[in-house]
Amino acid sequence: MATATTRLLAPALRRPRTVMVGTLFAASASFMVFVGILALYLSRRAEARSAGIEWFPEGVIELGPSGWIFWTLVLASFTIQWAVQAIDNDDRPHAYVALAITMMFGAAVFNQLWFIINDTGFALADSEAELLFFVLIGTYVVFLILAMGFLVLTSLRALFGQYRYRQNDGVGAAAMYWHAVSAMYWVLWIAVFVTK
Amino acid sequence: MTMTESPPAEAAEAEPKAAAELAAEGLYAWLSTSDHKVIGRIWIRLSLLLLVAATAVGAAVAFEQVDGTDTDIFGGLNGYFQMWGLYRFGMVLLVVAPLFIGLATVIVPMQVGSSNIAFPRAALAAAWGYVFGAIVTVVSVLAGGGWGALDGVTGDEADAIELTLLGTGIVIVSILLASVCLATTVISLRTPGMGLAKVPLFAWSMLVTASVWLLTLPVLVANLVIVTVDLRGGPLLFGNPEGSDQIYSQLAWLFEQPQIYSMAIPVLGVIGSVAPVVAKGRHLSHATGMVLIGLAGLLSVGGWSQPFFGDERDEFLFVAFALVAALPVLATVLLSLVTMVKGEAPVGIPPAPLAGAFGAAGVLVLATVAGAVRVVLPLLDDTIPMIGTTADTAVLNLVVFAALSGGIAGLWFWAPKIGGRSLSNLTGLGVITMLLGGGVLLGAGALLASFDDTPDNAVGSFDSLTETGMTIAAIGSVLAVLGALGVLAGLATALRNDADADGDPWGGHTLEWATATPVPADNFSGPLARVMSEAPLLDEPATDEGEES
Repeated sequence: MATATTRLLAPALRRPRTVMVGTLFAASASFMVFVGILALYLSRRAEARSAGIEWFPEGVIELGPSGWIFWTLVLASFTIQWAVQAIDNDDRPHAYVALAITMMFGAAVFNQLWFIINDTGFALADSEAELLFFVLIGTYVVFLILAMGFLVLTSLRALFGQYRYRQNDGVGAAAMYWHAVSAMYWVLWIAVFVTK
Repeated sequence: MTMTESPPAEAAEAEPKAAAELAAEGLYAWLSTSDHKVIGRIWIRLSLLLLVAATAVGAAVAFEQVDGTDTDIFGGLNGYFQMWGLYRFGMVLLVVAPLFIGLATVIVPMQVGSSNIAFPRAALAAAWGYVFGAIVTVVSVLAGGGWGALDGVTGDEADAIELTLLGTGIVIVSILLASVCLATTVISLRTPGMGLAKVPLFAWSMLVTASVWLLTLPVLVANLVIVTVDLRGGPLLFGNPEGSDQIYSQLAWLFEQPQIYSMAIPVLGVIGSVAPVVAKGRHLSHATGMVLIGLAGLLSVGGWSQPFFGDERDEFLFVAFALVAALPVLATVLLSLVTMVKGEAPVGIPPAPLAGAFGAAGVLVLATVAGAVRVVLPLLDDTIPMIGTTADTAVLNLVVFAALSGGIAGLWFWAPKIGGRSLSNLTGLGVITMLLGGGVLLGAGALLASFDDTPDNAVGSFDSLTETGMTIAAIGSVLAVLGALGVLAGLATALRNDADADGDPWGGHTLEWATATPVPADNFSGPLARVMSEAPLLDEPATDEGEES
């Protein structure tokens, strides 16, 4: 009987992983935009230092708040993978919870970045360092918003039943983009806040 | 042939339906379609219209440079510099790249045996983004914008410059989005049996090109973001745009080696697709062709060579890239020539796609050699600067016109699948000759002038050597305009012809030639048989045992 039941099961759906592959390319391009700006920032900072010019005034950039963002994103990486795992197991309630928590972490990162910008008291036109700092943070915020938008879209599709255990590409792709955006911040954190 | 054919009645029904769809194509279809062929045609049509405009601007700039004591054509130095910049950005970002994207959007899904491109809605958004970005760019330049000004010359509009930067950014993002769709199609939507090693060379070249663009053009977007914010908040980094050419200088790496070579990689795919078909045999070594195209892609990654990272131009990597760049192109030409010799080389008037592909690849070899000279000569003799002189323009023009001619050769080759019509061979030979001739004269003239140390954007009184070079370039620019007009005339003539083209006039080897003409909405009338080699239509029919639907 068990054998007969097995024979009646439909074969696993061999769906091409187009969303995953497309997201990989899009994430690579996004990462290159960010790395391009960061490279210009670092090259300008190195020039300033070699000319004996102070890049940021002493004590303006604090490690504390930026470190909290780092750890928030580490936590978010776990929760987004939780969502992927839950969808894989067709455990939809847990997937919703995981996606909601990840979005909450994203909102928290946004809030912390806003705090940092206000805390530094930088103005766009004051110096090259401040202008490039704004460009870097602003670009990061754009990619964070894109990642959160992707998550919202994925969550809505999951709620309406599009993503199930055999078709979980959307959640996996959103997770991939989220990890790429997290990686951007980790690079930013080391390059701008730790080695300021 | 390993294709699973539809029953004749079904195929006959599909053809008039496809023809009717093609005829009914209009604004609504262009705005709402998810058919990759309609999307590709949007890219191709606008890029060819802009080709005429860009070559006309180029001719005006060339004549302005010949008559160096007067700047009447553009009403002053500002106008001259705006048009000088528009010609460069226009030819590269509004004509050459979009032409290949359009060709690939139509052909690549069929070549890999897919019924559509990956993410068709994103592909449509990219096409319209290109249209919108092109309009914003051109209008803003005409309104006094552009990419900065000549050093020490004021009069540009800062707001219009911002708009130009925005338009440029929209075009680049559209190209990136289309690249994601194309690369994903080749990676994910291949028909069963078609491993990456069996992907047709044109599809492979587009995968390589899209990958290079996805890694490098975002760096240009990063440049544009910084320049725009600097304009708004400063200027602190690039000086006042209304009197400085620092904005253009920051973005100029797009037009210089090695990055400019990325615009011509698909030419190697076109020659690799056309040569075996015309020779009626298999490619001598498909795998070697793939490696050479991959190597050409690797050698055209150029985001790192920009002024912000210091003067890298005498560094080992920059010199090595310049010296080696010619090798994969030359090897591809030789490989294709041997393929022709081993097959049935055509006697008499050659087919336009073949002449175009070989001509384009030949000019590309010239371009890479000129690029190597541009880099190596200053190292051997300090008194010859080359870089920053008209040698930059020489390499740019040679590459751009090689790419353009390769694209036009592809257009003539795949015309039955793109528009359902065959194009006149003689017209094709004529326009390709004019475009290639124009490109060579433009390149040769600029290279000659560079030995006088003539600055790249120079306009004024010149020595006799420069004047001779500028005159040669001006003659080339006229040929280029005539070639561009000839392309439009050739297409218009074909469209007036009611008769549908033969479905496979060349006896093609790859899957796009297994479709009906005009190509139906889903490309193939039934499931495809498992692909056994890189030329599926030359394979013996597979037995039922080995078949996979």
